[in-house]
Amino acid sequence: MDRDLTTTCGYCGVGCRLEAHASDGKVITIAPALDGPANKGHTCLKGRFAHQFSRHRERLDSPLIRDGDGELRRASWEEAIALIVSELTRIRDADGPDAIAGLASSRATNEDCYVMQRMMRAAIGTHNIDNCSRVCHSPTSWALRKSFGLSGATGSFDDIEAADAAILIGANPTEAHPVAGARIKQATLRGLKLVTIDPRRIELADYGVLHLSPRPGTNAAVMLGLAHVVARDGLVDQPFLAARTEGYDETRALLEDYTPADVQRISGVPAADLQRAAHIYAEAGEASVMWGLGVTEHRYGSEVVRLICNLALMCGKVGRRGSALLPLRGQNNVQGSSDMGALPDTFTGYQSVADESVARRFEERWGVSMKRERGLKIPEMFSAAVAGDLKAMYIFGEDVAQTDPDTTHVIAALESLELLVVQDIFENETTRYADVVLPASSFLEKGGTFTNAERRIQLVAPAIDPPGDARTDFDILTTISAALGHDMGFQTPADAMDEIAALTPDWAGVSHERIGRGGLQWPVAADGTDSPILYEDAFELPGGRALLAALPYKPPGSEVSDAFPVILVTGRRLEHYNAGTMTRRTHNLDLVGSEWLEIHPDDAERLWIEDGSLVSVRSAHGRIELHAHVTARIEPGHVFTAFHFPEVRTNLLIGPSADVNTSCPEYKVVAVDVRPVSEKPRRTPAIAAAG
Amino acid sequence: MRVIVDDSDVDVQAGTTVLQAVRLSGGFVPTLCFDERQEPFGACRVCMVGVRGASGPLPACTTLCRDGMVIDTRDETARRIAAATVELVLSELPQPPGEGTELAAIARDLGVEGELRWPGAVHERREDLRHPYLALRQELCISCGRCVRACDEVQGAFALTAVGRGFDANIAAGMDQGFRDSTCVSCGACADTCPTDAITEISLLAMIER
Repeated sequence: MDRDLTTTCGYCGVGCRLEAHASDGKVITIAPALDGPANKGHTCLKGRFAHQFSRHRERLDSPLIRDGDGELRRASWEEAIALIVSELTRIRDADGPDAIAGLASSRATNEDCYVMQRMMRAAIGTHNIDNCSRVCHSPTSWALRKSFGLSGATGSFDDIEAADAAILIGANPTEAHPVAGARIKQATLRGLKLVTIDPRRIELADYGVLHLSPRPGTNAAVMLGLAHVVARDGLVDQPFLAARTEGYDETRALLEDYTPADVQRISGVPAADLQRAAHIYAEAGEASVMWGLGVTEHRYGSEVVRLICNLALMCGKVGRRGSALLPLRGQNNVQGSSDMGALPDTFTGYQSVADESVARRFEERWGVSMKRERGLKIPEMFSAAVAGDLKAMYIFGEDVAQTDPDTTHVIAALESLELLVVQDIFENETTRYADVVLPASSFLEKGGTFTNAERRIQLVAPAIDPPGDARTDFDILTTISAALGHDMGFQTPADAMDEIAALTPDWAGVSHERIGRGGLQWPVAADGTDSPILYEDAFELPGGRALLAALPYKPPGSEVSDAFPVILVTGRRLEHYNAGTMTRRTHNLDLVGSEWLEIHPDDAERLWIEDGSLVSVRSAHGRIELHAHVTARIEPGHVFTAFHFPEVRTNLLIGPSADVNTSCPEYKVVAVDVRPVSEKPRRTPAIAAAG
Repeated sequence: MRVIVDDSDVDVQAGTTVLQAVRLSGGFVPTLCFDERQEPFGACRVCMVGVRGASGPLPACTTLCRDGMVIDTRDETARRIAAATVELVLSELPQPPGEGTELAAIARDLGVEGELRWPGAVHERREDLRHPYLALRQELCISCGRCVRACDEVQGAFALTAVGRGFDANIAAGMDQGFRDSTCVSCGACADTCPTDAITEISLLAMIER
């Protein structure tokens, strides 16, 4: 039997629309949809080719229950659900609902995330629900809400082509967001003046007009320096500031301390380059700023996003085609999982759980009563588990033991739990600690919607069915909720979307039927009008005015010392995707089969490290071994690696340091010691090899 | 401004090509080297149309509309030129193109079927299956340039190059060292645009008629 349909990619946050062809329950081929708004007939090797994982022999096709002897054994759905319900009920009765916590998956659909948070809140009775945006773009969400009002990009990917200039900071889109990266590259070839800011000389730096390499952790100083030059050189859009913003005077006073010379001292960016960058951005007719996790995954990441907003406001570059602020969201639905209220402090559409009228609206609809205090964030959940206050976790589609920082602490937390339920498509590092494992569905096997990095809600359709006894996540979650005594009454994901629209003013006009082929960018008015560009006339804050923030530079949480003299930065590679659960089970593994450490030739020579040799990387928190790749793309004093392979547990190295406002971990700055691990002792320096 | 396509009026903006006007009118012109994701190339001479007052048929993809232009997509001379071009292209291939390919579709549209009038040298089979996803079968390449332009204009990997001249014209990945060892990023834009399956997905090879 053949199936041909249009769906939305389940890899990164670009949101490529794909044409899938399946036959006899297998995906045969995937091609880009010509009318995809974000991809316009293009896609990358992940979206196009990396679909074989969906029928990999290791796919979970039956519920598993951990036996008395500690082994996972196959079980029926009835048995697995009965165990989950009896254990959750026992723990809730003994320790209260807040002894239970859940994680929703940013790879799952909006509807999946919605029913997950509703299950935690209404069926169990706790706000202990979070999602993995906590560890990526929660600082962006927080800052955009503080500065402008809404938690999302102010524009669309179409602004890339409409801009005259752009700043790209802390992102490597040609690897991590390949289709957006291709669009940026093509725009530079047609004249876009691109300024790249990254400790690594990323590929797009070769296509830009200027590249700045700040020391990791000094982005704030760079943004303050750019704003200083804008103010000093009379490039401020005074009418815009006067009419549409608050807080410039305080910001202006603070900027005095960030002359280009000061910023050069802090960040290592030459003063002349900083001045040039400020002029390129401010003097362009339309200019956008794009950023990734290189901005957010820092101790003060959320503050840097606010400083980016400051710069855009000072130059009046918000709310117009070509002048946008575009965070490059990591996972396919990391925007949507937060939009859906899979957060401890907000319901759908970032409506606060502490707001009495909001809470009552949800209570009425769901027929339950809820607390007005927020629940636990992910890192707080792990700490509570280690402390013995949290007894059960329901983890849906996230491999926390592989991807979260301070892995040792995470594992201690998982081991402390009385009940760990993991709902996923493969066994992974986290299922090692699970009491019950539920076989779920991949994006190729279910219906619903994803929301991409430009706030565009797009339809997802099943090309194939889940394997064996695996079920769709929507089915699993609504079934368990009903078994817990809270029947949501949804037959299909479209029913859930209708409830979301009814409870969420920003989604008032959203329905599966209206989304159609083109998608809808929220906010969507009741009549179906969507919003490609935000803030054309007013910001979504009191008085319609944006807020500038006077925030000084503060040093990162991890700094070099004699013991740990090198800074490790982590990120992604083109061929793989996050924990690699999916891409490592495709031929992408033939293209890139292992992890490596990028190190500058000067450091390599000093440390007696040769290209390809095995090295040890040690931080205050852990140690890993991997092979070195000597490259001038990275600055001296820094090393880089990704986190796609469980063989190299990169996140063992990451400590508890996190963003001060959102608890987003500081993945991007870790002081480490790097040294060769020779199989045979070497008596002569690396010079011998060079000769 | 307004143009007439096969007796129907079409309002178009300045800068609209004849091909775009034909498509706006709901009409059809066969194309071979054209891909809407790329700049018009005008190399294959298959999208020929008649234009009243012109000395001969014109390529629709690179000709701009002029006010009052009268376009005939069924112009006999234009169709004959296009059919002869496609027949010449087919005559170099060692086997007919797969049923599902664009080249096969336009051959059907232009009535190029059965025995070809000009038998002659055909390309020797030369395939590269070293990449895990992308198969390159050079004997099926017709040098339309779409893959090279997809790589340059859509992806920006600059991994593919047009090489050789005349009958030997073909494409090469990198310095002819194959996809894996070139600057290829495996996006597959080349396979997506290829009208003959000269570049295709390895997993589909078994299904494509050979």
